[in-house]
Amino acid sequence: MTREKIDARGAYCPGPLMELIAKLKLVQVGDEIEVLSTDKGSANDIPEWVKKVNHEMVGVTQQDGVWSIVVRKAK
Amino acid sequence: MASNTLYILLCSGEHEKVQMAAMIASVAAVSERPVEVFVSMNALLAFAKDAPADTRYHGAGFSKLLKEKKAPDPIMLFRQGRELGDLKLWACSMALDVKGWELDHLDEDLFEGALGLTKFLSDAEGGQFITL
Repeated sequence: MTREKIDARGAYCPGPLMELIAKLKLVQVGDEIEVLSTDKGSANDIPEWVKKVNHEMVGVTQQDGVWSIVVRKAK
Repeated sequence: MASNTLYILLCSGEHEKVQMAAMIASVAAVSERPVEVFVSMNALLAFAKDAPADTRYHGAGFSKLLKEKKAPDPIMLFRQGRELGDLKLWACSMALDVKGWELDHLDEDLFEGALGLTKFLSDAEGGQFITL
């Protein structure tokens, strides 16, 4: 299992989501992707999308205005 | 028969509406929902192949903010929606005719083709229809 990181700080919706989806196509099932985002909407939208398409949420944390959203590829 | 497909009729050339159409279309497409976009009237002008980047989009206060803050470009969002999901764009054949344009006057590798309104409306029966 590997963890990739996407630095989407400064990007506006739906940029962080699109970057995550593009990266998911490149990693293996079981790999994790951490998205760093300053966009509050993405902190809600990404988990919503993950739930809809049946990947897994590992967690969401926030520090100093930056959200860390970690997703695991499930399929 | 009910369909999950989202049909977007984009006829406004206002930057804000083109942006909104691109956001709705791309996010729906990557959320495993088929999307078809019919581009007509002033909206077609935003997709002209040689349109300069700084004058391609025209709008009001929010357009200025979108440009200043470097919000995701609508054309880029449509492309991402096509690459990552099931998204099709169609150019209105009537609007092309009125402008005297062929399909190759529009941004490359974005449109499935030209389509008439009758066919689009027929395909959209049973789906969800949005007009911008």
